Amino acid sequence: MDEDPKLPGRLLIVEGVDGSGKSTQLDLLSKWLVSQGYVVVFSEWNSSPIVKSTTRRGKKRRLLSPVSFSLIHAADFADRIYAQILPALQAGAVVVADRYVYTAFARDAVRGLDGTWLRKLYSFAVKPTLAFYFDVPLTEAVRRITDGRPSFKYYEAGLDLDLNPDPEESFRIYQGLIQAEYEKLVDEFGLVRMDATENLIRQQQRMRELVRPHLPGVMRFDGGGVSQVLQEEGLLGRYLQQQGKPTRTLP
Amino acid sequence: MTELRFMGIRPPGVEDVAVPGRLVVVESTDGVGRSTQVRLLKEWLEDQGYAVLDTGLRRSDLAGPGIERAKEGHTLDPITLNLFYATDFWDRLERQILPALRAGMVVIADRYVFSLIARAVVRGVELDWLENLYAFAVVPDCVIYLDVDVQNLLSRILRSSGFDYWESGQDYLRGQDLYHNFVRYQEMLLAEFRQLAGRYGFQVVDARGSIADTFRSMRQIIQGVVRTMGSDEGAVPIAQPSVAQASERLGREKPAEGS
Repeated sequence: MDEDPKLPGRLLIVEGVDGSGKSTQLDLLSKWLVSQGYVVVFSEWNSSPIVKSTTRRGKKRRLLSPVSFSLIHAADFADRIYAQILPALQAGAVVVADRYVYTAFARDAVRGLDGTWLRKLYSFAVKPTLAFYFDVPLTEAVRRITDGRPSFKYYEAGLDLDLNPDPEESFRIYQGLIQAEYEKLVDEFGLVRMDATENLIRQQQRMRELVRPHLPGVMRFDGGGVSQVLQEEGLLGRYLQQQGKPTRTLP
Repeated sequence: MTELRFMGIRPPGVEDVAVPGRLVVVESTDGVGRSTQVRLLKEWLEDQGYAVLDTGLRRSDLAGPGIERAKEGHTLDPITLNLFYATDFWDRLERQILPALRAGMVVIADRYVFSLIARAVVRGVELDWLENLYAFAVVPDCVIYLDVDVQNLLSRILRSSGFDYWESGQDYLRGQDLYHNFVRYQEMLLAEFRQLAGRYGFQVVDARGSIADTFRSMRQIIQGVVRTMGSDEGAVPIAQPSVAQASERLGREKPAEGS
């Protein structure tokens, strides 16, 4: 995984166990970037339109073994890299990704896959400009997830690993193992550690401070928004919410 | 019993040191009559009393349908496509091939990782990355490579299905000229197969002759591979329930009765 000097865009990613608050912070960050006029492209783990139905099929029927679990997630990631992330970075956009290769490195290592094999498998990935790791005490993360959650899915709770027959207990152990793997990755890949127990506003301020120096020279959309034309021309935007085919004006 | 070896790394969850079955791989470019030969071999082996499982690319429960759908769109880059194929391959290895080998069957694979590697290398994927990707593949007891030249292939293709989109390399070669793309693509592919033949010790069979000649050459090679199976310690005769169970689990046809 190398940083490609020819890519004009920026790649910002967040990592962390379920319940670490990483998605909330990434969402706030990308809204801020958009408000500053940057062109932001969001990419989410497990979202390739071509691959995700196979992953869903595998999970639903419990067909996935450690190796096929790893391979199908790599396929999903590869499709997003080539069809979404790389083109956006080539164009100069800010790509924000919720989970990246480190999720695979941590989860697949817990499932017994060789670290060297995994790093080579994902060698086509682009090195992120900044990678944030949301560090949270396990009990806190588990509490956030289990509050108001009636049941866990099979792979989400790591039930395929035979850690414990009780889904909640299995989830707890599984998340602990993943967190231990993440700890190793922080040093190896220079992930930026975020204190996920801190006040949400402070966390977001810190993220923005760290991101800001990387922004000069990145593509911005300066065409002005819809709000500008409404304000300047005294329009209400009455039909902007309308979906589908245009309707005739009532007499 | 034959030692169970892997091309790179032993995958997590597979403990077997040796298995009573045999894995025979048949490789070639498309249009050589490979699938016909596999069907003939299966019949012949069953007549000899061997329980047979035949398997081919894209036949996994997990990823087979997804790959078919993806190929319709012609949109996948070679890395994604190979990861998809590797998922399909592993699912079949784990849930069809390994159980059959443990049960003492002869597994005939109609194409294996070598076809996938050859096609990807031609499309510019690094061999090193591909060998890592397929590190969990079981080393076959023999790989039969059906060798042809492009002229021979052309006459076969034109007599049957005609030029295929993928087999003409239309997904990555420039231009609309199907004939020239086919020739160029197949020449590159055949050269890559011959490279792999040396690297992995394929048994090369000249497949330019009649179906009967090719069949007899293949049969002779396979005879050498399966000959010792009956005398193996722990070999499972086909009438025993374990094979029937294995077949059922595999969702394939039951072993030939009374043979």
